[in-house]
Amino acid sequence: MLRRLLFAVLLVVGCRPSDRPTVRPSRIVSLLPSFTELLFAIGAGDRVVGRTQWCDYPPAALSIPSVGDGLPPNIEAVAARKPDLVVLYNAGPNVTAAKQLERIGIRTVLLDLNRLEDLGPAARTLGRLTGLEQQAESLARAMDSLTSTNLHQPPPTSTVAFIVWDNPPIIIGHGSYLDQLATQAGARNVFGDVTAPSAQVSLETIVARDPQWIAVLSDSAVPPAFAKRREWRAVRAVREGHFLLLPGSLFGRPGPRSGQAIQQLRMRLQRDGVGAQHAAPLHQTSR
Amino acid sequence: MKWTLLAVLAVVALVLSVVLGPAAVPLGELLRSDIVWNLRAPRALLAFLVGGSLGVAGAALQALVRNPLADPFLLGLSGGAGLGAVLAIALHLSGPWALPIAAFIGALAALGLVYRLGLIGGASLDPRILLLGGVAIGAFAAAITTAIVSLADAAELRNAFLWLWGGLSGASWDSVLLVALYAPIPLVVLMAASRPLDLLALGEESATYLGADVERVKRRVYLAASLLTAAAVAVSGVIGFVGLVVPHIARLTWGHRHRSLLPAAFLGGGALLAFADTLARTVVAPRELPVGVVTALIGVPVFALLLRRWTIA
Amino acid sequence: MILQLQDARYRYPGASGDALNAVSISVGPGQFHAVLGPNGSGKTTLVRVALGALIPAAGTAQVDGRAAHLWPRQELARVLGVVPQREDNLFPQRVRETVLLGRYPHLSLWGRERAEDHDAVDRALRSCDVAHLADRWLWTLSGGEYQRVRVARALAQEPKLLVLDEPGMSLDLKHEMGLFELVLGLVRGQGLGVLMITHDLNLAARFADSLLLLEGGRPVAAGAPNDVLTQQIVETVFSWPVAMQTVDGRPQMIPLRQTKESRA
Repeated sequence: MLRRLLFAVLLVVGCRPSDRPTVRPSRIVSLLPSFTELLFAIGAGDRVVGRTQWCDYPPAALSIPSVGDGLPPNIEAVAARKPDLVVLYNAGPNVTAAKQLERIGIRTVLLDLNRLEDLGPAARTLGRLTGLEQQAESLARAMDSLTSTNLHQPPPTSTVAFIVWDNPPIIIGHGSYLDQLATQAGARNVFGDVTAPSAQVSLETIVARDPQWIAVLSDSAVPPAFAKRREWRAVRAVREGHFLLLPGSLFGRPGPRSGQAIQQLRMRLQRDGVGAQHAAPLHQTSR
Repeated sequence: MKWTLLAVLAVVALVLSVVLGPAAVPLGELLRSDIVWNLRAPRALLAFLVGGSLGVAGAALQALVRNPLADPFLLGLSGGAGLGAVLAIALHLSGPWALPIAAFIGALAALGLVYRLGLIGGASLDPRILLLGGVAIGAFAAAITTAIVSLADAAELRNAFLWLWGGLSGASWDSVLLVALYAPIPLVVLMAASRPLDLLALGEESATYLGADVERVKRRVYLAASLLTAAAVAVSGVIGFVGLVVPHIARLTWGHRHRSLLPAAFLGGGALLAFADTLARTVVAPRELPVGVVTALIGVPVFALLLRRWTIA
Repeated sequence: MILQLQDARYRYPGASGDALNAVSISVGPGQFHAVLGPNGSGKTTLVRVALGALIPAAGTAQVDGRAAHLWPRQELARVLGVVPQREDNLFPQRVRETVLLGRYPHLSLWGRERAEDHDAVDRALRSCDVAHLADRWLWTLSGGEYQRVRVARALAQEPKLLVLDEPGMSLDLKHEMGLFELVLGLVRGQGLGVLMITHDLNLAARFADSLLLLEGGRPVAAGAPNDVLTQQIVETVFSWPVAMQTVDGRPQMIPLRQTKESRA
C-alpha cells in the first residue's frame, strides 16, 4: 500500500509537463528571423506555425502566418497559433514574454544569438528539441567552422568601419557579430578596440582612423543620405564613395547564411581592394 | 575686468575645442589639418553659437515668465522638435537636411500652439500659462513620438532619440553659416528688450507705469527666445542646463541689468557648451558622450552651489 | 490741470454693474488729492482709467489735455509717477539700482545712463530721506523704508504728478505718518501734484487739500476735507457710527463701538 502511494507520488512529481516532453513539438512559433532560418535549415520548417513579420527567409517562411513584429512579442497572437514550443531570443522583454507564455502553459526556450559562436549551440539546441539532431549537427559544425581559429587566415587586407547611425555617429565595435564578419572576410574593423557592440564616436575619430570602407546595412543601391553631408565628406572613404552596402536580410543578423555573408564580403573586398579604382560592381558607388 | 576675464574664458574654450580631440593632431599640424578645419573648427563655433543662444534665451525667458527655474526647453519646443524628427525618419524623408528642417518645423508648431494657449485669457500673453502650456504641449508631443516609435520600424527610430539628446556631431560650415545668419535677428530683438525686461522684474503693472509696452515686450521676447531655441534644437538636439544655469551664474557677477546680463549670458553659454563638447569628445575617447549628458553633469553641481548662495544672498 | 477725469464711466467685462459712474476729478501742480471709499467703491478702477490702462465707456480721462490711453507709455511715464499697491520684485536688488529703474522713461533704446540720470537718482533718494540706504539690499529694508524707496523711484522719473495707491497699507504709525509728511513736503516743496488712494480717512483729511469720496463707483462728496468728512456722510457711506473731532483744523473721525442697544 505504502509502496503504491510512493510510486504514485514519484510518478506525479517526476512527470511535470514543462520538464519532460514525451512528444516532439509539432507546432513551433519562432520569434526571431534567424531562428526561423535555422529551423528551416535543419528540416523543421514544416513544423513552424508562426513567425515574426521580419522573418522573410527562406521564401517558404512567407506563407507562415505572422504573429506581429515581436518587439515585444504579442502574447495573444502567439497563443492563438496554439504552439507547443516558442523560440525566443534571450533579451529583456522576451524574458518577460517567455514567463507569461509559460504561465499559460506554453513551452518556451530562450536562446542567445549575439555572435557567430552562438549559432552552433543554437542549432544543436533546436535539433535536440525537434529530434533532428543529425541534421542540426552538420549545420552546427559548419557554423562552428566560421569562428574556428584558422591558421591559414591571411592578415587583413583592408580596413572597414560599420556605421549604424550618422548623427550622432554610431559604429559597430568588437562585441558585435558584424565585427566578426569583417574579421572573417579579411577586413579589420578600425573600431575593433571598442569592446561594446556599438558605440557613439566623434566624426573626427572616423576621419583619423581612415577606414578604406564604410559599411552600412542597406537594402538600397545608392549611398546613404549622410554621404552628402558636408562634415561627413571629411572621411576619405565617403569622399571616394567606398561604401559597402550590405542587405539587411543577409548581413543584419547571425544565421545559417552567415558563411555566405562572409564569402560575399570577402569577394567584394578582394575584387575592389586597394589599388582598384575603376571597378563599378554591384552595390559599390564611385564618384 | 570681469568682461576681460569672460572674453579670455571664451577664447580659451574655443581654442581648447580646436586643439583637443580624440584624434591626435600634433600642434604643428593644426593649421594644415583637415580634421581641424572641417570638423573641429565648425563644431567649436557651432557649440559657441548654440550655447550662447541658449544662454540668452534662458535669461530672457526667466525674466519673461518671472521664474528663475525657467529653461528654454520648458516651452514645449523640444517635444515638438523630437516629434518632427521622428516623423521625418518614420516617413523616410531623404536629404541631408531633412532632420533639422523637420525638427525646426516641429518646434515652430509647438511654439504656435503654446502661444495660442498663452493668449487664452484674452489679448494679453499670460506667462504662467506659457509655462504650463509649454509643459503640456511638450508632454503631448512626447507621447505621440513614443507612440510612433513603438509602432514603426524600431531600430532607426531608437537612434533618433540619441540625436535628441544633444549632439554637435552634425556640425559643418554649412550649419555654422546658417546659425550665424539666423541667430543675430532674435538676439538683437532680445538685446533691445533689455530695459523692459529689467522693468518686468517688478511686475507687469509696475513695468507699465515705468514706461514699458508690456504686451509688445512679452510677445517679442517670447517669440525671439523661442525662435532661438528652435534653431538650437534643430541643429543640435536638446542640450539641457545651459539655458537654465548660465543666466544665474552671469547674474552673480553682472547683476540683473539685462543690458550687461544678456551679453554675459551669451559669452558664458558659448564658452560652457564649447568646453562641454570638448569634454564629451575626449573623456571616453574613442567613444563620445552625448553633450547633453556633460552639460547636465557640469550643470547640476554648479546649480547646487548656486542654490546655496541664493539662500544666503 | 495735469490729470483730469470728466464724468468717467467704466464697467469691467462680464460685471453686472459699473465700477465707475460719472466720476470727475482734476489734479494740478501743487495739489494733494485723496480718493476715499469703502472696499469695492471703485478707487483702483479710477486710477487705472486716469492712467489710460482702461478706456472709459463714457466721459474722458486726460493727462495734460490729451486722452490718457493715447499717450505712448514711455512719454506718459515722464509725466506721471505711479506707486502701485503691490510690487513683486523677482530678483534681489539694491536701493540705488531699483531707483535707477525710474530713469528708464528718460533713456533711449541703446543709450547708457548719463550723469544727469544719476543726479536725478541722488536727488530722489535725498528727497525721500533714503540716501543713507542707497547701497542696501531691498530685502533688508523695513516696510516703511521700502515704501519710501518706491516713492523715490517714482520721483526719479521727474514726473509732474505722483499717483499712490494705498501707500500706507501695512505700515506702522510712525512710517505711515512719515510717508504722508514726505508726500506733503513734495507737494509744497517741489510743486508736484499728488493723487493718492487711501483707506485712512483721518490722515487723508489731515494732509490732503481735496478729497473725493466714492461709493459703489459713484461720487458721494468732493472738495475740502471739512465738506466731505461730515458725520452724516461718513456714517452713511461706511455704515458705521462715528464721532467727529477737529485736529489742526481738519476733521478726524472716531469710530464708535456698536453695543447691542445701539444696533437696535
